[in-house]
Amino acid sequence: MSTETVKVCTANFGKGASDISVYKQLGGYSCVSSKLFDLSQFEIIDIVQRSGLRGRGGAGFPTGLKWSFVPRNTDKPVYIVVNADEGEPGTFKDHFLMKEDPHRLIEGLTIAAWALGSRTAYIYVRGEFLSCIETLNKAISEAYQAGMLGENIGGTGFSFDIFVHRGAGAYICGEETALINSLEGKKGQPRLKPPFPAVSGAWNSPTCVNNVETLMAIPWILENGPEAYAALGTLQAGGTKVFCISGDVKKPGVYEAPLGVPLMELLNSPQYAGGIEGKLKGVIPGGSSCPILTAEECEKATMDYESMASLKTMFGSGAVMVINETRDMVPLLKSLGNFYAHESCGQCTPCRDGAGYVQRILQSIHKGEGHEGDLELILSLSEQFDGTTICPLAPSLGMASTAFIQKYRSEFESYIQKNKDKKASRISSTFRPGAFW
Amino acid sequence: MNKIQGAVHYVANNRLQFEKGPSPFDPQKSAADQVGHKYKKQEQPSLEEILPKLETPAIKQRLDDLLSRYPEPQGALLEVLWLIQEALGWVPREAIRYAAGICECSPVHAFSVATFYTMYKHAPTGRFLLQFCRNICCEQKGASNIIAYTEKSLGIQTGETTPDGLFTIVQVECLGACANAPVMLVNDDYATDVQDSKLSMLPGTSLNEERVDKILNWCRERAKNLKEEPTRDALGGPILGHKGHPGAPGATAKVQSKNYAPPSPVLGVQAALIDGGVQVSWKCAPDFTHLLLEKKEGSIWKQVAEPPVRTTEIIDPSGEKGSVYRMIATSGERVAKPSLEVEAK
Repeated sequence: MSTETVKVCTANFGKGASDISVYKQLGGYSCVSSKLFDLSQFEIIDIVQRSGLRGRGGAGFPTGLKWSFVPRNTDKPVYIVVNADEGEPGTFKDHFLMKEDPHRLIEGLTIAAWALGSRTAYIYVRGEFLSCIETLNKAISEAYQAGMLGENIGGTGFSFDIFVHRGAGAYICGEETALINSLEGKKGQPRLKPPFPAVSGAWNSPTCVNNVETLMAIPWILENGPEAYAALGTLQAGGTKVFCISGDVKKPGVYEAPLGVPLMELLNSPQYAGGIEGKLKGVIPGGSSCPILTAEECEKATMDYESMASLKTMFGSGAVMVINETRDMVPLLKSLGNFYAHESCGQCTPCRDGAGYVQRILQSIHKGEGHEGDLELILSLSEQFDGTTICPLAPSLGMASTAFIQKYRSEFESYIQKNKDKKASRISSTFRPGAFW
Repeated sequence: MNKIQGAVHYVANNRLQFEKGPSPFDPQKSAADQVGHKYKKQEQPSLEEILPKLETPAIKQRLDDLLSRYPEPQGALLEVLWLIQEALGWVPREAIRYAAGICECSPVHAFSVATFYTMYKHAPTGRFLLQFCRNICCEQKGASNIIAYTEKSLGIQTGETTPDGLFTIVQVECLGACANAPVMLVNDDYATDVQDSKLSMLPGTSLNEERVDKILNWCRERAKNLKEEPTRDALGGPILGHKGHPGAPGATAKVQSKNYAPPSPVLGVQAALIDGGVQVSWKCAPDFTHLLLEKKEGSIWKQVAEPPVRTTEIIDPSGEKGSVYRMIATSGERVAKPSLEVEAK
């Protein structure tokens, strides 16, 4: 591994780059020039495809491919929506990226707008990040004044507007179709696909939804060339990733590292998290939806899409949650159960009711009122989430709880042992009508 | 009907109400329920009472700005509800109806939206709304102890307001600041500590009992010095310089609907003198269906050629030094603005 990490998204951290003059001094907005305007739409998309950039929000879909799906020649406008509804437990990178370097996001958005033939973009920021919204609004106003946004940018006749939309606290709005619904002023409930947002998204127009980090990598790619970006990562996926490391480490925080960095290096190296506090018990590698890794699995894991898939977990949003030996797994999974039951949008029955069942079973186990067979019940519920819902919210709970129970089963069983009536079969009172509402 | 099964009533106003039997489980209420309308009856002000606060010139101006950002007024619904919450401190029923009127949607739709999202408050809260994260990262670092400590030191339960009207405690899901876990929001500010008599969240600081005390004392101090909490723009301040969405509703909506987000004009037009005339070159965008090259003669633009759509250059044999050209692109029925004018040199 190289000793000096190339910083793609976090290069301007701590330099006061939220001010446009500072950002320009640091080489910002150099892409909003003939460097961009001399390239056609297809050339930009080709550059992004060659860079191997994949969506950094969690699903990891190749960005260039996503852009190429946006149809041309319809009589409808193309919208770009930035997904800054960062709600996945453990993830906090976009929070810092937007706060420290909002102009890079605006620059990346401008490039995306050029490539997609769009003239309006919305940045959907979750409601809790009011200070981020203030930073963004100020940065956007500055960009308008500097002629980087608005009409006739750079004398090319190209016009582009960015608006910020404040969400109001719903995790499910991080799902792209739910986000679009929320942008349209509806409940944030995911839509059935197809039609995909690229064809029919916001206001039935072609819409491209990208994560903040994805867009912030694009100015660097245009500046340094797609090959340079691809060379930073693994063969299958190029570039760097901003990791959010939290939990039992010495220096929790946001760190940028090339894809394919070994997980243990990320946790122990002084340039990253600086070492684990206590003895490692497990790591959730990509946000709460990703199955947990045991300490042994962590040794061989590298942080890229393929290695994570081979360990039957996901790369996700790069939220690395470190759990040490002193932590009890039951309350942790219980808090996840609460979370998913609360955040279920209520459209699909398996999720609306099933997440509530899992929550209540976990609560009773945690209170020492678990029954024998409860764990099997959770596993069977988890199985039934798969493929029966519109969006991956309930399957995420299924994957997370299955991994917790399979890998740390003895802890859950010792909680069940506390119940004197554990042999009694679980009566339907758990599932009584109205228990969830 | 028994103790275990919940009972369903139709009440006089024909709303479904569920009467719950005693639950064997802790009802971990969601944030919306904690300060919400579900468990307590909330007195609702009438429209006449709230209108003076909503129909101010400043709010009117901001509403116009908001509506200009979206192609349909309903897009601004979330933002309008935020404005109402900023003005009133919470969103009463009549205010939701008022928002529906502004956003041209049905009141029941606005109500469904206002209750779907957890950050809209359906009851007044204390001056400082303390939102504690209870999700996995914070739980791991002892959030439940911190919440229990705060509840004890303020003498209230989650969802309640202190008698002096200063504090309300709410538990919420992930706040997106897990490096500092456990964390809390005081109104709209992240707080894990107080630095230079301001709430702060510096790297490496997380809530503990001592810091919670510090923050609570900071709030009390502020309440002494400032009579009222200064209002803070719920939408993060204005965006200066934008002219709105090209298809936004308003006086000119019908005029614009035909020209709803026109295609981009022809870009990168250049004219170069060569032997045998002027070579005009340009960038072709994939959505063009028709192209037109025009030359200025006197003050009149005259059509010179209709280049095929996929080409990027054409030679005008009649061109000479100083001829001025522009191009006009069409995409379907929509005609773009003319490109910039270029002079052959």
